[in-house]
Amino acid sequence: MASSEAQHDSDDGMDEFMDKFKTQRYQKGFSENNWEEEFNKVPMFMKTAPEEIDPHTYPELACLQAIIHDEDRPPEEQAKTLKDEGNEFFKEKKYEKAILSYTAGLKKKCGDEDLNSVLLTNRAAAHFHLGNMRSALNDAAAAKKIKPDHLKALIRGAQSCIELRNFAEAIQWCDEGLKVHPTDKKLQELRAAADKHKRAAERDARKNKIKEKKLHGEKEALLAAIKDRGIKLLQSAKPRRRCSDSEDEGSSAALSPLSLDGLSSQEVTGAQVFLDEQRSLHWPVLFLYPEHRQTDFISAFCENNCFMDHLAVMFGEELPPWDEDRKYHSQNLQLYFEDEEKETFYQVNPEMSLLKVLQHKRFFVKAGTPSFIVLVKGSSFRKQFLTEKKIQGLNFPLKNT
Amino acid sequence: MLSDSEAAELLSFLTPDTRPDVKGHTTGYILGMSGHRDGCRFLRSKSDLLVALFALTSDPSIAIVKDCYHIFINLSADETLHQVLLADVKVLPVLLKRVLDPEYLFSDQICTILSNLTRHVKTCKTVFQVLQEEVGLAQLVEIFCTEGYNKKANFNYLSPLLSNLTQLPEARNYIMDKDRCVIQRLLPFTQYQASAVRRGGVIGTLRNCCFDHAHHEWLLSDAVDILPFLLLPLAGPEELTEEENEGLPVDLQYLPEDKKREEDPDIRKMLLETLLLLTATGAGRNTLKEKNVYYIMREFHRWEKDVHVTAACEKLVEVLIGDEPEQGMENLLEVEIPEDVEVKLKEADIKEQQELEKEQERMRQEEKEEEEKKKRDAEGEDKEQESGLIR
Repeated sequence: MASSEAQHDSDDGMDEFMDKFKTQRYQKGFSENNWEEEFNKVPMFMKTAPEEIDPHTYPELACLQAIIHDEDRPPEEQAKTLKDEGNEFFKEKKYEKAILSYTAGLKKKCGDEDLNSVLLTNRAAAHFHLGNMRSALNDAAAAKKIKPDHLKALIRGAQSCIELRNFAEAIQWCDEGLKVHPTDKKLQELRAAADKHKRAAERDARKNKIKEKKLHGEKEALLAAIKDRGIKLLQSAKPRRRCSDSEDEGSSAALSPLSLDGLSSQEVTGAQVFLDEQRSLHWPVLFLYPEHRQTDFISAFCENNCFMDHLAVMFGEELPPWDEDRKYHSQNLQLYFEDEEKETFYQVNPEMSLLKVLQHKRFFVKAGTPSFIVLVKGSSFRKQFLTEKKIQGLNFPLKNT
Repeated sequence: MLSDSEAAELLSFLTPDTRPDVKGHTTGYILGMSGHRDGCRFLRSKSDLLVALFALTSDPSIAIVKDCYHIFINLSADETLHQVLLADVKVLPVLLKRVLDPEYLFSDQICTILSNLTRHVKTCKTVFQVLQEEVGLAQLVEIFCTEGYNKKANFNYLSPLLSNLTQLPEARNYIMDKDRCVIQRLLPFTQYQASAVRRGGVIGTLRNCCFDHAHHEWLLSDAVDILPFLLLPLAGPEELTEEENEGLPVDLQYLPEDKKREEDPDIRKMLLETLLLLTATGAGRNTLKEKNVYYIMREFHRWEKDVHVTAACEKLVEVLIGDEPEQGMENLLEVEIPEDVEVKLKEADIKEQQELEKEQERMRQEEKEEEEKKKRDAEGEDKEQESGLIR
């Protein structure tokens, strides 16, 4: 390496340093490929600051940061700087970071109450934009406590209350604010809005109450109608008993205390017995065809109709596709209902009305849906099915209804 | 009345240093005097007595202070005393300052006095002036709307005070200031169950405000929304169909079955008069028609028994279901009535009043006869039982 003549004009060796480049090439210069990247690392030319400042990677930045947040400065100054920092984050919509800055500012506990109130109010705003309404409200309240006339705190508090649907409190915030700032438009606007919401909510509550009452009344009427007819409802065997668990399922007349539990249909259709305008009951009814493991569901079987009315239609002109033997003609069908407790099958006369059958003393409506078994007269399946089963006819005097 | 020397003697007993029992007797005696008109008129001429009495409202004995306030309540009820009270005794500034004190024990009495003093326009103007100078109407409204401002006072009599003040356009302008939130805070009190005085005063205030039809649009808009607050006291528990409900203002929808109507007929009448005022402009009429006010009035008419109130209701209903007036006459308050028509209308009004009175009298008679008949029947039965007659 060629050494140059040392110039002794300067003490810092600057001249020597500069002279070096008369003969040497500067090694650490930026190349065409990396100059943008390199520029971005110099604090002065950075377009964006890195999220975290690692003192090893960015020593200059770390230095600057240390200067800004110098712990030796008075707390008010530090707090103010943190407030400004928070505001910057806020502008960039980086609300979590803003909250961190504001919180740090508040931790300084500087005596400047105006500043603290602003920090709290700004943090409230950040929380608000993140959807943390509770936190926003708390911060606004704290700000209001320090400075009761702080307009932005009052507005933010009212807004938070509205978002939390606490309209009465929102109105209180507005009234408090209007005492100090009687002509503020925003407060007036918020008050009117909160008032409107409050009254709408009250109306909704009234409407629901009336609906509930009506529904309740209808339910009562329905249960009364069923009871008056002497129809018995069986509670579904779901574990909803409050009494002893030792009760067997289906033992000793497990009648539901006349509650609506007994009426909830387990059918996915959600059909339920109802009372029509002529005060007749319409029941959801199941027809079971054990021979082919099929079922038919009638959503509203009027109690005054008889079974034949339905069977004639269902097995009239066209027989169902599962009836391979083509034998389910309406006049060949026999109906039974099962008394599970006594393990007895009762035969039902298809000319009888549904009401009459339901009133039979051994008929229990299960899960709100009366169900009937359909078999074909004289078929081998029927014979098989009814072997070893107790059968009874219905003890009704035969009347022409 | 008392002679001059007797009056002078009384005066000597009203100094602060007088023995409390003597003071007490004297104030008690004067209280009795203030209870009737002659006594008031006599006291009117003795301003020195009044000044002394007013000074005694600072007396350490609560009983004496109470008596003195009652004396002034009685005095202020007589219009002829107003001049003396204001000019000679100079009660206003002192009373106004005291009423602001949340601990003051006699704020309600002060409110009653102020209410009395504002009943007639002339003194009302003076009171309003002093009020604005000393404390400002804003403060009074604030106190009125703040529950529990003073644990010993309910401030219900601020209500008729406000109502009286709104005789003056300046007061109305303050209450209806669009840049502030004043009238909105008064509205909920139209339903204030605990005090008819408070309810009546607020409704009186609203009625007076509605004479200014330039404000109607604003009053009926969402910014104030005065309509539901006028209708709620008149609405009852009767069930309306869902369709009818949905067309009503929100506050009147789905009212519960225990909803009670306003029990004071005078207040009911005031509400109807206020609603009638709001129908003066075409826009107001439209709003009331759109919001199905008719349904509320229909049920109300079925329920109302008082003839005067029913008449007011019928007037309102006529406007609601009647045709729109011809062009140029849409604002009913501004229509020019030719003199001869005006005379005829006045006569018709008087006649209507007379008929209403007759109707009321007739109803009272009927009721009386019913009662007597019942009594006679009851006696008749008793007699029958006594004589053992069996029918």
